[in-house]
Parts: sequence; C-alpha cells; structure tokens
Amino acid sequence: MTDPLAVRPAIRVSAGAQEKPVIFPRRKPRINGRSIAILVFLAMAAAFYCIPLYVLVVTSFKTMEQIRQGAIFALPTEWTWEPWNFAWNEACSGITCEGLKIGFWNSVKILIPSLVASISLSAVTGYALALWNVKWAGTFLFVLFMAAFVPFQIIMFPLIQLTVHLGIYGSLWAVAFIHTVMTMPIVTLIFRNYYKDIPDELIKAAMIDSGSFWRIFGEIILPMSANILIVVLIMQITHIWNDYLIGVTFGGPGGQPMTVNLANLVTVSTGTVSYNANMAAALLTAIPPLVIYFVLGKFFVQGISAGAIKG
Amino acid sequence: MLKKFAMIVSASAILSAGSAWAEPQELIIYQKWSSPAEVAALNVLKDGAEERGIEWIDITIPHDTGSNVNLLNLVTGGQPPNIFSENNPAVYRDLTQMGLGRPLTKEFEEAGVTANLPPSVVKSITVDGEIMKFPLGIHIDGMVFYNKAVAEKAGVDPASWTSLDDMFSEFDKIREAGYVPLAVGAQAWQIGYLTHALVATVGGADYFTRIYGPKPDPAALDEAPLRETFDWLRKFQQAADDGSVNRDWNMTTNFVISEKALMQIHGDWMKGEWRVAGKEAGKDFGCIQIPGAKALSVTVDAWGLLGNQPADVDAKEVEFALMTVSPDINSAFAAKKGSTPVRTDVDQSSLDPCSREVQTILKDPARQVQNPHSMVDADWQASIWEVAFNFWSDDTMTTDEAIEELKENYDIILN
Repeated sequence: MTDPLAVRPAIRVSAGAQEKPVIFPRRKPRINGRSIAILVFLAMAAAFYCIPLYVLVVTSFKTMEQIRQGAIFALPTEWTWEPWNFAWNEACSGITCEGLKIGFWNSVKILIPSLVASISLSAVTGYALALWNVKWAGTFLFVLFMAAFVPFQIIMFPLIQLTVHLGIYGSLWAVAFIHTVMTMPIVTLIFRNYYKDIPDELIKAAMIDSGSFWRIFGEIILPMSANILIVVLIMQITHIWNDYLIGVTFGGPGGQPMTVNLANLVTVSTGTVSYNANMAAALLTAIPPLVIYFVLGKFFVQGISAGAIKG
Repeated sequence: MLKKFAMIVSASAILSAGSAWAEPQELIIYQKWSSPAEVAALNVLKDGAEERGIEWIDITIPHDTGSNVNLLNLVTGGQPPNIFSENNPAVYRDLTQMGLGRPLTKEFEEAGVTANLPPSVVKSITVDGEIMKFPLGIHIDGMVFYNKAVAEKAGVDPASWTSLDDMFSEFDKIREAGYVPLAVGAQAWQIGYLTHALVATVGGADYFTRIYGPKPDPAALDEAPLRETFDWLRKFQQAADDGSVNRDWNMTTNFVISEKALMQIHGDWMKGEWRVAGKEAGKDFGCIQIPGAKALSVTVDAWGLLGNQPADVDAKEVEFALMTVSPDINSAFAAKKGSTPVRTDVDQSSLDPCSREVQTILKDPARQVQNPHSMVDADWQASIWEVAFNFWSDDTMTTDEAIEELKENYDIILN
C-alpha cells in the first residue's frame, strides 16, 4: 500500500449501494525474465495452432492452379469462393453430389436429440444421486465412474446387436441413442458433483415445503444449474459434432453425419485431390462448435470456476 | 394390440409386394469413391444399372484395403449391402463362412467373361478356387510418367531407356539442366509400392511370387534381385529432392506437372492428376513401364456380391456384375476413371496411349503379377513396407541390414 497509484478498485459488490469500493493492492507490471519466458512460450503455443490454421484458410481461397505451384504459405493470387461453394453445394459423397450440406443437416438431426436426452437424463440422475437418499448410491456411482473409462471401440459389436434388437440400427436414432448412452456416465458425474455442493439446508427447507422430487428439481435445482448446463452443453456439442466412429458405425445409409461426408471428400487413395475444397470443407465442419464456443465461452469459464451457490 | 400389429405387418407386406412390380429393384451399394473422376465412372455404372431396372442405393464410407470393419459392421447389424467394394480375400472367406458368399465362376464362364480377362486379373478375383469378385478396372502399380516438355529441355528421351541403368546414367544430365530427375513422395505406402514394383522389375514374375505370394519363400530373401531392389531404392533416395519427405503422391505428380522434375514412378492413377491439370497423354506427358521391367504388378479394383438373397435380388445382383464387365460399360468406366479396361477385347481406338500401352503389356501372361494386397499375408506385407521405409529414411542403413531385418520378420510372422 506504499504506492497509491498501484491500486485499483475491485468489482462493486452490490450495484447502487453507497459502499466504498473495496480496494486491494496490485503489483506493478514489470518486464522480467519470467514474463518474457511466458510470452515466448505463449507465442510459440499460439504459432503452433495459428500457422496450420493460416495454411488451411489461405489454401481454401486459392485456385488449384496456384496450389499446384507449391508455396503453401503464399497468399492467394486470386481470391475465390469457389472451393467453399463446391464443398457446401456440389462435393460428392459417393454417388450423391450435393455437398456437405446433407451431412450438416444429418449432424444437426443427430445433435439435438442426443443433447436433449443425454443432458436431461444425466441432470436428473445426478440430482438424485447427490441430494436424495438412493439405495446403493455409492456402488452406483462407482460403476458409473468405471463406465466412464470404457472405450467405445471394445463394446462396439455388442452395441450393434443391441440397437438391432431395439430396431433402430442404421438410423439417426441409433446414433443419438448411442451418444446418449456413451456420454451419460461422465455427464452424470459432472452434475452429481455440482449438485453435491448445494447446502443441505436448502434441500431440507424445500422438502418441508413440497417434498416432491420433480418440483424441487424443476423449481429450485434447475434454475441454479445455468452454469453447469452451459459447461455440459459445450462439452456435448463439441463431442457429438466431432464424432466420426459412432456416426459411421450406426448411421447406415442416409444417417451419416457431416464428419463422414468430410472423410469421403478428403480420403482419396488413387483419385485426384482438390486441396482447396478439402480445406474449405474442413473449416465448414469445424465452424459450428467454434461458434458455440465463442458465443458461450464466457459462461464456460464462469461455469467451471463457480460453485453451486455462487451461480 | 398384437392383432393390430399383425395387420400392419401383413398390410405392409402386401404393399411392398405390390410395389415390387412397379418399382425397380433396390440394391444397396457400399463403396469408397468420392473424387470427381471416380464419381463420373460410378455414374456410368449407375446409368447402366437404371437401364436394367436397378435402383442404386449408395453407402459411401472411405476404406482402404485391409480389414474392412465398416462392411462387417453392416453385416452383423443385419443391413448388409448387396454389392460392396472390397479386394481383401479374407473378407470373402469370412462371408463364405457366414453363408453370405456369392461365387460368380459359373456366370462368368457362361457369359464368356473369364476367357477375355488377362490372367493376372483372373487370379486377383479368385478366392480359394472360385471367382468371388467382379473386376472394374486395372491399374499398374509402378509406371513411369514423365513431363515431355522437361524431357525435351533436358535433352533426354525416356522412351529409349531399356534398363534402369540406362535411366540412371542420365540423372546427372537432367540435374545439370536444372530439374529433379525422379520425384518421389516418401511416405511408407508409396515406398512400399515402389519396392514391390522394383522387385517385379528386376526379379520377374516367379521371383516376385516367392516374396509377395501366398507362401513366401525365405530362401528368396537371400537372392540377388532383392539386394538389387534395395540398391536401387538407395540410389533413388540419394537422388530425391528435399521436399520429398512425406509428400502425397498427388503433390509429387504436380511437382512433375509444374516442370520442376522430369518423372515420377508410381501407380498409373497418376493419370488423373495430369488430366485435371488439363494435360493430354502422349502429347504433354509420356507413360512407359519401368525401364527393363521383367514383370509388372497389377492392381485390380474389384467388388463383390452378397449371397443368400431372394431369387429376384440375386438375379439383379448378377445382372449388375455382368453389366460392369461387359465391353462397352467397362471401357466407358475406364475412360472416366483413368484406369485400363479389364477386358482385352475392348475397342482399342477408344483408349488413350497410356491404357493402350498397358493393354499391350498385359497381352503377355508371363509378365504380370498381382498387387500384394490381394495375395499376401497382411502382416508380412506390412513388415516389408516398414523395412523398406526405414531403409529409405535412414541412409546409414545398408542393404545387408535391411535383408537381415526382413529375415527376422519372416521368422516372427510366418515361421
């Protein structure tokens, strides 16, 4: 507190009140060895991601004639939207040449039921496990915890049989069902750990008032869950959107997500390659989770750092 | 409830039986092609199928030779495709075991197809004595494609080379003219392909079969042709440009197209890149077999049929297969895809100079061998790729060391 300039006002605790702002000291920013090291490291880390991204973006705007010349870092001599148009509207996935938009809508159709089913089921299960006396809750939690570590690949064949018996194999519903089942353990654990921090008194009071499992969930717990819902939403959207294996295994004809379309476009053994359209297609596929992240990113950080009662 | 359900079932059964009259037979076709030339070729088949009252239901999933998990997933899931692109003989053995194999030996004989296929193609499509696949097109795994403009400027004539030594003796001259003599894409599979193409070139058909056949012969590993192959790999590696490391074959082809290098040795699907760059075979680029080649390795794109189907579906499946190997459709398909027709009796004038060259070579049954993928133990093949690629990447490794490693691998895998 020796230097009066080196202080800054902290966030006002309650707006409108005439309280004096709480102040605390802040060290003067200084350039020293440590900050240089951090900057160099951050710059390297940023370059590690940005340079490939740069190549991806500029290549997607080049003509194939220019790409044939090599020089991948050069800017396009002639900017063209054609690769983007081709990737979205005309690219072939097998014999159908209607672009990635087909897969895009399939992905959306997979995403929405998977999100609704996995989040609602997991939230309720997490709530029950955290706040109600459930018989065998400990064992159940342990099993969930173990299930979160089972790789999808080793149970793929049994799951195929399961979906065949349910009569949904080879449809969007099978893909959504498997996504829901496969992500439930980890999402349930996340909800359970979040709800566990809700003070006992709150629930006890609610029990006296109504005592209904669903009313407490709907009127008290859910309104307090905004942060964690956003965390789970971002996690699930990224996970489900980027999935290839589940989509390709359970989708069957007509149920293939955008990633499968992308793989068809990009994977070429003995055919010719249109690098510009491939790059555009890769970017198009990556855009939806990116948008979600940019829009909800602020809440994401809040959600991870906040506890239940702070929400 | 049950009654209602039964009614719906019978109603829908009647409906579907009724619609079978009016509507074309649907066949689910599982394949892996999506690039423009390939799709154009597929459309030749699709149009042919429609004329024959077959509706093409497409499932496209990229897959390469090797274990085809997605195909088997569809089979175990109870939605097997009627027609599928697959080269690996093991898959056909699996299907036959499940009672889902569909041999075509009899139909091909009756339609006079077998007699008009080159012997290497017949071997490729045969699994355990029965023809199980139908062939769509031929590719040669190792051809030399060269840029004619560069050849002229460097003052060399690749067509006059009669041996690898002839070719190599001109490398300095080409370098002095300012060009990379031989462009290579140094990726494991490309070096692997180059290796087996070279074994065929210097060793000939019989020797090739002793290395890459169904039953490899350990004594062959010690003989001269394999040593010579590795010596050539080393010479090519020393002559390669710096950019060759992990370069896709497409980029390597473009390196030749853009007049930075004279030639590339790779599968003749290179033709596709030349064609989309607007170049013409025989005019802008030349294609020759590897100079002095005793034999050439042949890749056959082949598809298979699903067995144990109702009679009407089965008939349509067979009709589809016979259509693809009919001379007209087959040569139209090959022209679009950039491959060479499988039939030797197609109209030669419809072919480009490269395909004509290939067909001429394939007239001699003694000079053709099959791509290892369709013949050899997958682990053994993988181990050869690994050794060849390590050899290429580490220029301190000697030919003796490479041979020694192959022998060790043979003991582990096949003994």
